This record gives sequence, C-alpha cells and structure tokens, in this order.
Amino acid sequence: MPAAAALKVLVVDDQTSVRQMTRMTLEQIGIRHIHEAENGRLAMDTASVQPLDLVISDFNMPEMDGLAFLRALRGHPAARKIPFILLTGRGDRELVVKAAQAGANNYLIKPFTADILRQKIEQVMGKLS
Amino acid sequence: MASLDQLKLTFFDECSEALQQIEIGLPEIADGAGAEDTINAVFRSVHSVKGGAGIFGFEDLVKFAHVFETVLDAMRSGKLATTHEIVDTLLQANDVLSDLIAMSRSGEAVAPDFGAECRAALEQILRKNSDGEGLGDSMDSAPADFEGLDFVPVCVEGLESSDPEGGEREYRIVFRPKPDMLKKADEPLYILRELRKLGSLDLIVETDRLPALAEINAAESYLGWVGTLRTAARRQQIEDVFEFVAGDCELEISAVSPEPIEAAPAAETDLRAQSDLGSAPAASAVPVAPSTTAAEPESAAPPQEHIATQPAVKLSGSAAETVAPQGAPAKAAAAGATTTRVELEKIDRVVNMVGELVIAQAMLGQVVHTLPESVSSQLVQVLDEVVHHTRELKDSVMSMRAQQVNAVFQRMPRLVRELAAKTAKRVKLEIAGETTEVDRSIIERLGDPLTHIIRNSIDHGIEAPKDRVAAGKSEEGTIRLSAEHRGSRIVIEIRDDGAGINSERVLQKARERGLVNAEAVLNDDEINNLIFLPGFSTAEKVSDISGRGVGMDVVRRNIQDVGGRISLKSDRGRGMTIQLALPLTLAVMDGMVIRVGQETYVMPMSAIVECLRPPASDIHNLIGTPGMLRLRGNLVPLVQLAELLDIGSMQVTSDERVVIISDAGEGTRFGIVVDELLGHQQVVVKSIEESYGSVPGVAGATILGNGRVAFILDVEKLSDIASSQHVPVGVTRFANGMAKSAAVPN
Repeated sequence: MPAAAALKVLVVDDQTSVRQMTRMTLEQIGIRHIHEAENGRLAMDTASVQPLDLVISDFNMPEMDGLAFLRALRGHPAARKIPFILLTGRGDRELVVKAAQAGANNYLIKPFTADILRQKIEQVMGKLS
Repeated sequence: MASLDQLKLTFFDECSEALQQIEIGLPEIADGAGAEDTINAVFRSVHSVKGGAGIFGFEDLVKFAHVFETVLDAMRSGKLATTHEIVDTLLQANDVLSDLIAMSRSGEAVAPDFGAECRAALEQILRKNSDGEGLGDSMDSAPADFEGLDFVPVCVEGLESSDPEGGEREYRIVFRPKPDMLKKADEPLYILRELRKLGSLDLIVETDRLPALAEINAAESYLGWVGTLRTAARRQQIEDVFEFVAGDCELEISAVSPEPIEAAPAAETDLRAQSDLGSAPAASAVPVAPSTTAAEPESAAPPQEHIATQPAVKLSGSAAETVAPQGAPAKAAAAGATTTRVELEKIDRVVNMVGELVIAQAMLGQVVHTLPESVSSQLVQVLDEVVHHTRELKDSVMSMRAQQVNAVFQRMPRLVRELAAKTAKRVKLEIAGETTEVDRSIIERLGDPLTHIIRNSIDHGIEAPKDRVAAGKSEEGTIRLSAEHRGSRIVIEIRDDGAGINSERVLQKARERGLVNAEAVLNDDEINNLIFLPGFSTAEKVSDISGRGVGMDVVRRNIQDVGGRISLKSDRGRGMTIQLALPLTLAVMDGMVIRVGQETYVMPMSAIVECLRPPASDIHNLIGTPGMLRLRGNLVPLVQLAELLDIGSMQVTSDERVVIISDAGEGTRFGIVVDELLGHQQVVVKSIEESYGSVPGVAGATILGNGRVAFILDVEKLSDIASSQHVPVGVTRFANGMAKSAAVPN
C-alpha cells in the first residue's frame, strides 16, 4: 500500500493555473512531493533525473506534447515504468484511446475533485495510505 | 499555498495571452502565411482556455471554447480547408471568447444565448465539412468518463503485476544483417524505424565486426543490433517488419518473460549500459547496472555522436528522436527562465520610488550648493555619480514598463481587412517598426487614435478600385503603419496612397460651419489642419465606419493628452500622411526649469529646440503681434509667457530676456520669452488633472529640488492659447501662419 505522503508526483501542463490547481488537489489527498513541468521536454528532463512514482500530464503542450512525452518516457530505461495519468478534457475520447495505446495507465478529466483524483491514482497504484 | 482566487487570476492572465496569440495567429492563417505551427499555436491557445475554464468551472466558456477548438482541430488536421469566411468566423469567435472570459472574470452572469449566433456559425462549418459526421463529441453529449478503454496495466514495484496478456509484451530482438544485405537496397535504418513504430525499442548496436576505417567497404553491412521491443503488437507484426530481409540477416525474435525489470536509478543508466555493453556486446539487451562506472568524458554529448567513436551505442527507442540530448536540459532550463511575470503594480511602485529618488536627489543638489566649497566640491562629484545611476535606474525601470507598439499594431490588420470588406475597397496594410518600444501607458492610449485614423484612411482616403485604376494607381490601396524612435519621442506614421484631402470641400465645410471667416485666405496646409477642429466631419453622409461623432479633434486631444503631437501632410491625389509624435514615457521626463517673474515653471526638453538671449535689435515689434525674432534670416513669432499666463514679469531689460525656441509640431516654431533659465533636470510628472481638472497650458506638476511645486507647461497648448488671443481668424491660423513666416531651417 503506497503511502500518499511518500509519493513523488510530476505534474505536467503548460498552464500554470492548471498545474497549481492540480498541485492543490494533490495536496488535499496528502501528496507532498510534487514536481511541475511546463511541457513534455522539461518533464522528460525531470523524469530522467528524479525518481518519480507517478506522472500526471496534459496532452496539448508546446515543444513536446503529452503523447510524445509518454512515448519518450516509455522508451527511457529508468523512467519507463512510471505510471502515467493523462489529464484531458471531456470529449477527447480519441486522444484517450491513443494514450492508452501508447502506454498511459489512466486518465483524469478536467475538472476533477480530490475524490476523483484519489480514485484514479488508486486505480493505478493501489490503495493509498 | 496559492489561494483559489490567485489561481483564477493566473488563469485569466493566461487567457489574455491566449487571446493575444489567437488574435495574431488568425490573420496569419488567413493570409496563408500560417504554417502548421501557427494553427497549432492557435489551437493550443483555445484549448488552454478550455482546459483552464474546465478546471475553474466556467462552463459557458468551456462549451464555447470546445466548438471553437473543434473547428481549429479540423483545420490543423487538414480535414477543413482554410477560407477567408472561416477565418472571419473564427475572428468573431475570438471576440465572443474574449467577452466570455471577461464575463467569467468579473463574475457576470452569461446570458444563455450569448454568442449563440457565432457558435451556430462554427457548428455550421463543422457540419458542412464532415457530412453527417457531426461535431464529433458535442460537449453536452460527451461522456464524463471513458468506460471500456483498455489501459496498460501498471507494474509498479510493490504492486502486483497485472496480467500481461492484455497489454504489452517484451520481445528480445537480435538483428544482424548479412554483409551483402545492403546491396539488395534494404536499409537497416528503415527496418529499425518500422520496428520502433510498434512500441518502445531499446537496442544496442554491435560494432565488433567493424573493421579499421581503411578497410571499410561502404556497400557492406558490419553492424548488428540486439535489444528489446516492448509492444502491444503481436509477434506476427514484428516478423512482418523483417519480411523482406528474412534471408539476408540473422534474426531472432523471442518473448521475454514479463518479470519486472530492476530499474537502475536515474540518469546514469545510459552510460553504464554503454560502458558495460561495450565489453560484452551481446550480453544482455536489458540495461543492467554494472560494476564498471567510469563515465566517458564525452558522456554529456548527444548519444548520436557516439556512433563513430564509441564501441557500443545505445539506441533508445523513440526517445532518441524526441528527447533533447542529455547535455541540453541545463541550457534549455536556463532559456526558460529568461522571463518572469511581474504584476504591473509592482513595477509602478518602483517607478514611483524612482520618482521620489529623483526629487530627493534634486533636493540634495540644492543643499550641496549652499555648503562651503571645500566640502561641496567632493560632494558634487559623488552627487554626479548618483545622478548618473538614478538616470540609469529610471531608464531600466522604464524599459520594464515598455512594450512593443506591436501590442497595438497587431490589432490593425484585422481592422483593415474588415473595413476593406465593408467598403468594397482593396487595401493592403504594411507594418514597420512594430518592435519599437514605448511606455505601457502610452500604448494603452494609442489604440483609439490609431483605429480612428486608419478608419478615416480607408473610408475617405483610399479610393474604390475603379477610381484608383482611373487615376493610374494600382487597384489595391496601401496603408503603411510605422513606428520609430526619434530622440526622446516615438514617431508613429500612418501613410496612405489614397486621394488625400480635398481642400475645397474642407474649406467649404469649415465655412458652412462658421469655423473660419468667409474672407480668410488660407493655404492648403492651413485648410488641411481644419479637420482637427472640433465638430468637423467631411463625410457626405455619416457612414458606419467613420463619422460616429468622433472627429479628428478627439484624436488630436487624445494624442495631446499624453504629451504628443499630431501633424498631417496631404498630397492631393497621392495620399496623406499623419504623424504622431509621442513621449516615450509619462512618468519621468527631462525638463528645463525656467523663471518668469516670481514663478518657476518646467518646460519639457522635448519641446525645446534651442535657447538664446537675442540682442534687442533682433526683436521686431510688429503691430498686432507680440513681436518677431529675427533668427538666422527668418522671422520667428514670439510669445510673452508672462503675458500669456497673466503674471507679472520682473521687467528685465529686453537684452536679458531669454527666448526659448519651441517646436509646436511639423516645422512650426515660435519663441517663448521668459526671464531666466534655472537649469536642466529630470522631473517626476505628477498629474493634477484628477484634482483640478484639465488646465489649458499646464501638462502637470512636479516637485523641485527646493521642495516647491512647479507646473509643467504644455507648449503646444500654449501656442494654441496664444494664437486664439492674437489671431482671431481660426485656431490653426496661428501655428500655420507662423510656419510660413518663420521657415526656420532644421
């Protein structure tokens, strides 16, 4: 049972407001180690040097989008096992399918509540303590 | 932790940026200059608005942005061809989006049918395009969840591994082309690329068969690859990739047991794998943490560069193409940190503080002069340095507030396009110098005047295509909008190649309206300047475009309010040029402190051409005028400041009087007679309008070194006041009349 307080999570979104909002919600469910990245490329930099337990990433981003980031992540020897939750809007089913094929582990529809966030994380990582 | 309100503020800031991006991008797309990048950027902007709006619960915004985004998505994926009509609709959509953002920001309730028309237009585009395929997922019907999607099971340490059957599998791949494979035109690189498309590929290149450079035969293959492929694809699909080379290579495809792989900690993995596998090329496909840890000195270089020099090279799936090389992140991160968002309020606080500093420094300067010289000489030196630094500080702060005029210019192409369409004229807009920087406060007040001038240009200036052809011009009219720095001013020029001003009609109108005496004889320049008079409009009928009751007089007042000048030149049949000369900043300026009688005033340095003390013999008192100064062969009209402001002069003898030659715009000069020049200093402009209303001839106030308040004179207004006192014919008569009589060479 992973302990929420020990989880290291990377939040990737080009919008500061969305990143911060996600951070706030993560904090509400007891997650304390939160990294942020503005786009896939910077996220990949972080993922290749930081031990991470979970990535929550948007898809539409400049420089390197979420899909490219996911593929890069899955191709990285050290980071390939990191669970990946896609941050998406309602109605982006096609995108979710693509992400699932590329190795995403779950998705999170904006806007989301702390409860839903916890539920999605637990689906991927097991019950949080 | 940031509060929700702060987050919302951040979001709305992002929205402003997004709107700007859309505003810039759409016209580019319309012009066909919109590369894929532009459409992508516009799409992303709308998408960001939608995403953020979703997070913060602005449902109306989300719904509208969704339709907007869907159209853009169809465009960027090539499903929808870009037409002017579509771009026009998108521009309207941007307006609606902007309004919705504003309403969300202010908390205003959004009317249920707000933007419905535009939304319908967008939906129409989609419907037309996709014949029945419809809107894809309409927001209303879109599920809030995607059930039934097959997600990859996670293998997290400490968690139970899920059934591998449904997800990806790992295959061990050994691929060693035979020496003559290349001769059959089978390229291993393409095969590897194909392989990579199936999933994530980790390959190690074997170079042990590579001979010495001199012995290499370019047509022979020496390399081999060993590694793993993690893929959801079936074995058959992998074999298909090698279909054409099956007989020409050593090939091995075998499923690896789905045991979780011990992930080596972080970044060193690549290097370790390299050094380790270099000595035992085919040992293992999976990077295993080895005992040899010596990192090659070249380790920071991009992996691709290793190919020639390293014994073994790791080709890491798609990552090799998409991830920046290991050496780059630091640089990239540094580049990302070159800008920061600062609240305008904070900068303004610094500006105010610099203002106070300037005042304190001026006071210090005064105190220093009262000290005995033995003490003061040293102090003066130090003070000079302080003055120098203060000036630099001021410039730096001002440059922080500075914005490119592009902020205003970029709105103009759309305006031109819309107006041209409305008036059935063909107009091209050329923009130059859009990166010229000027203080924010000026930018903010530039939009309306520019819009109005360009409206006028298209409505009255540029002729209809057939008239242009008849006049021997090209069908398409040109408006050129440019900006440049000139001294301490920014000069913005709007030039068109239209018909210019019809002086007869202007004069006729002016007479009809009693703006000029029936007998007054005016030259073309004077007539042209009549359009700046209040209540003047030459439009035969009030059109939808210009003539909304706002005339050029308002434009002029707007420009004058920020300490600027407007001038125009018209060439009948060839076009017209309007020039706006604006100060670069409103907060701190260089001023000349002058004395008239007991009073002290400040005159903006930018308005001063030269100062001189002419001999009495050079001043001619012509009857009916306050005097003329003969200056290098030309006559310059004089204005007695004491008289103008109705204050008692010290009655200094005429020989001691100082004349400040001032520029009232477009070569028009006049001399202001004052008693004494007290010195040049930087002054902080304090507005008095809020407390006292607008005082003609006074631009503001400042605090001098001695702590006293002095008024800053508005030179151009002074010239207007003087003209109305002495030349009753028309307001413009004075300045332009002077221009004739006093053509001072520049």
